[in-house]
Amino acid sequence: MPPAELDPTRLCQRLNRGVRRAGARYESGERVRFGNSSRLTLGRYRLGNGLKVLTLVDRSAPVISYHTWYHVGSRNERPGKTGLAHLFEHLMFNETRNLPAGEYDRRIEAAGGETNASTWTDWTHYHADLPASELPLIVELESDRMANLVLREPQLRSEKEVVANERRYRVDDDVEGTVGEKLYALAYKRHPYGWPTIGWMRDIEGFTTADCREFYKTYYAPNNATLVVAGDFDEAQALRLIQKAYGNQRAAKLPRPRRVRETAQRRPRYLAMKRPTPSAKLCVGYRAPAFPDADYAVLSLLNEVLLGGRGSRLFRRLVQRDGLAAEVNSSLAPFVEPGLYDIWLSLRPGRGIEAAAVALDEELARLCAKQVTPKELERVKNRVELGFLSSLETAGGKAEQVGFFEVVCGDAAALFERMQIYRAVTAADLQRVAKLVFDPAQRTRIDVLPAPGAAA
Amino acid sequence: MTRNQRTVAGGIPLVFERNDDVPLVHLGVNLRTGSALDPIGLEGMTRLLMRVVRLGTPELRGSQIEERIDSLGAHLSVSVGHSYVHVSATLIAQSLVPFVELLADLLLRPALRERDLVQARRETLAELSSLCDDDRALAARHYRRHALPDHPYGRSTAGNVRSVRALTAQQLRTHHRRLMVSGNLLFSAAGAFEERELAALLTRCFGPLKRGKPPPMRLSAPRMPRGRRILIVDKPERTQTQILIGTLGSHERDAEHVPLVVANTAFGGLFTARLTHEVRSKRGWSYGASSSLGHEQQRDLWSMWTFPAATDAIDCLRLQLELFETWVRDGLEDDELEKARSYLVKSHAFEIDTPSKRVEQLVDTKIFKLPADYYAGFSRAAGKVSRKSARLAVQRRLSTRDLAICLVATAKDVLPALQKLPGIDSVQIVPFDKL
Repeated sequence: MPPAELDPTRLCQRLNRGVRRAGARYESGERVRFGNSSRLTLGRYRLGNGLKVLTLVDRSAPVISYHTWYHVGSRNERPGKTGLAHLFEHLMFNETRNLPAGEYDRRIEAAGGETNASTWTDWTHYHADLPASELPLIVELESDRMANLVLREPQLRSEKEVVANERRYRVDDDVEGTVGEKLYALAYKRHPYGWPTIGWMRDIEGFTTADCREFYKTYYAPNNATLVVAGDFDEAQALRLIQKAYGNQRAAKLPRPRRVRETAQRRPRYLAMKRPTPSAKLCVGYRAPAFPDADYAVLSLLNEVLLGGRGSRLFRRLVQRDGLAAEVNSSLAPFVEPGLYDIWLSLRPGRGIEAAAVALDEELARLCAKQVTPKELERVKNRVELGFLSSLETAGGKAEQVGFFEVVCGDAAALFERMQIYRAVTAADLQRVAKLVFDPAQRTRIDVLPAPGAAA
Repeated sequence: MTRNQRTVAGGIPLVFERNDDVPLVHLGVNLRTGSALDPIGLEGMTRLLMRVVRLGTPELRGSQIEERIDSLGAHLSVSVGHSYVHVSATLIAQSLVPFVELLADLLLRPALRERDLVQARRETLAELSSLCDDDRALAARHYRRHALPDHPYGRSTAGNVRSVRALTAQQLRTHHRRLMVSGNLLFSAAGAFEERELAALLTRCFGPLKRGKPPPMRLSAPRMPRGRRILIVDKPERTQTQILIGTLGSHERDAEHVPLVVANTAFGGLFTARLTHEVRSKRGWSYGASSSLGHEQQRDLWSMWTFPAATDAIDCLRLQLELFETWVRDGLEDDELEKARSYLVKSHAFEIDTPSKRVEQLVDTKIFKLPADYYAGFSRAAGKVSRKSARLAVQRRLSTRDLAICLVATAKDVLPALQKLPGIDSVQIVPFDKL
C-alpha cells in the first residue's frame, strides 16, 4: 500500500526540519486535482533557490518519467549566435565535473532507461523514462548537469558537427524543412521567432567554448527550471532527494526578458524557389495568437475543421475532390508569444500552384463568411478531446503536458481547463477568429517549383 | 487489471485487457496475412484494398464515413505489413457500440466501387510521388528491394506506379473475399470497456463473417544475392547521404535470436553502443547511427543506418564495414555485453507499461507465430546471454560476404570513391523519382 499523502504544507514543514540553507528550504507546496480524475493529484512545490517541482504520483505502471524544463529557447539568442539553445540540448549529455563524457547515457541505459531532449523557441526540455527504482539515479544525474557541466573544445567540435548533420537532415536536404525555415524568416522581421531553433549553419560552425560557458552560466540555474516527476514513486522521498541534490545550487541573475514587438504586416509576403522534387509545393502562413491566448484554442478547432483528418475540408477538397494535392498538413505554433499558423500543400505531379492557392483561399474565405454547422463543430471538438486524452495515457505523456503548460502558460493547472475551453467554443467564435487570422494582408506564402531534371 | 483471451463471433480470438484509468478504448481488428500475398505485378493490392474499404459501403460514402468516425471521437488507422494488416482504432469509451457497428460495416460490407478505386489509386500514386521528397523513406524502400529482390519481403507494401495502375476493382473484390474470413481475424482491445458487453458486441457485428481458414501464405525462406552490392539512388543537390547496409538477420524462433538481439543492442541499439559511439560521439559524422533486426513471420533483415554529410559518406561507409567485420569476428567486450543485458532486462518495464502495449504483445505472438513465452521469457533469456553465445549468434546469422548497401546521394559526387572501395562486387545507380 502506498503511504497516505501528507498535507503539502505539513510535508514542506517536515522536509524543511533541520535545513538551514534558504535555497534548500521548500517555500511553498500545494496540490490540485489532476483534471476530472479523482485518483490523481498534481503537487506543486518551490525550493528557496527558485526551482519549481511538480509531482504526479501515478502507480499504474512501475515506471517514472523525470522532466527538466529550462525556460530558455531560441528566442533568448541573438543574431550571429542562433542555435545556441539547441546546441546545449546536445552538450548537456557530455562531461561534468563529476562524470566523464558519455557517462550520463551509460548510466541511464544500464538502468534500463531512455532519455532525450528537445528545444524550441521558448524552452529546452530534457526527459528520461526509467524503472521506478531509479529515481535517485536520475535526480543525481540531472542535478549534476544543471550545475557542473564541463565545456571543452573537443566535445564542442564534435557536437557542432553532429548538429550540422542534424540541420542537413531536417532542413537542407528536406523540402518541407527548408520551406518552414524560410517561412518564419520571411514572416518575422524583428522578433527572434524569425530565426530557426536549430540555428543558421554559419552560426553553428562559429560557436566557441566562451559562447557556451556564458550561455550556461546565464540560463542553466534552478530559478530558470521546472522539474516534473510523474509515475510510481513516493512523493515525500522524491522531494527529499530533490532538496538534497538541488538545494545547494544558487539562483542565477537572469536577464530581464526581452520584449520584441514584431512589426505589423500590412501586405502579403511572397517567395518562390526551386528544388529537386517531383511536384510543386505551396506553404501559406498567417499570424496566429500566442498559446496562452484564449483565441489559440479557437484556432486549434479551426485547424481541425480545415485539416483534421480525412473528414476535414481541405483534405476532402484538395486531395479527394479536386485531386490537386498529394498531401495537406498544417502547424499551429504553440509559442509564448504570437507565432504562425501555416498550411502545407504538396501537390500532385503536374498540378499547378495557382489552382491550389485559389482553392485554399476559397476555403478560408468560406470559414470567414459562414459559420460551421453544429455537427461539424461537434466533430472537431471530439477529435480534439480524443487527442487530449490520448496524450495523458502514460506517465511520460502526463509529465510532458504538465510541464509544457507550466512553461508556456505559467500555470500547469491550465492544462485541466483546456478541455473545458475547447468545449465552450461556439461557431460564432470560430467565425470571428477566422476573420481575424485569415487576413490576406497578413499572409506569407512560399512556392516551391520542381527544379529541371526532376520528373513533373 | 485483467488481461485475458476468449473467442467471439463464432470462434474469432479476442485478446483484451480492461483498464478504466482513461476513458478510452484501443481496438484492433488484425489480419494474419499481409502484403506478402500480393502477386508479382500486383504489388500493393492489400494496401489499396484497405484504402478502398474505407471509401464506402453500399449506404455510406467515404466522406460520411469519415464524418461519422470523427463525430464518435475516434481515430482509425490501417497499417499493412508483409505479414499482417492491423486495423487500429482509439476511441472515446462511450462511442464503443456505434463505432464497432460502423467498423464491422466497413470491413464486412465495403462497396468496392470503381470510383472508389479511382480515388484510392490517385491518392496512392500521389503518396508514391511524395516519397521522393523523403530521403530516409526513399532509402528504406530501395534498400529492401535491393537486399531481397526475389522475395515478397523485398517488395514495398505500397506497390509501385505500374502495379497500382494495373489493379482492378474485380481483383480487389476477390482479394477481399479471401481475406475476410473468420480464421484470418484476431480482435484485440485495451481500455475502458466491459468484457461481456464487448464480446456480445463483436459477436453481433462480426457474426455474419464467412467461416474459413486464412489464405495460405507459403513463403520460401528469404535469400540474399551473393556479394557486396551497392545501389545508389541518385538525387541531385544532396548535402547528406542516407546509408543503409544489411544482410539477413534471424527470427524469434531461431535458437540464436535472443543472443543476437543482445549483441545487436551492444553494437547499434543504444545511444552508447559501439556503432553510435564511433560514428556520432567520436567523429560527429552522423546525427543518428543505429542497427536493428527486422520482424516478420520469417527471418528478416539485420540493418545499420547512418546519414553523414556527403563529404564524409565514403569514410563513414568504410568505417561501418570495418566495425561490422570486427564485431562479427570478435563479438563483444565484457562491458558491452553487461550494458546490453542490463538495458534489455531493466527496460522491460517500458514494454508493458500500458494496457495497449501488453495486448499488442499478445497479438504479435499470434501474428508473427512467436513461441508462446517469447515476450514473457525474453528478459530472463537476455540476462543469461554469454559473450560466447552472443559471438556465435552473430557469426552464425550475419554474413559479412553478402551485403546490400544502399545510398541516397548525388551519384556523381560519390561514385568515383565508391568504385575504389575494396571488396565491392557491384555498383548500380537508379534515379530517385522512378518508383
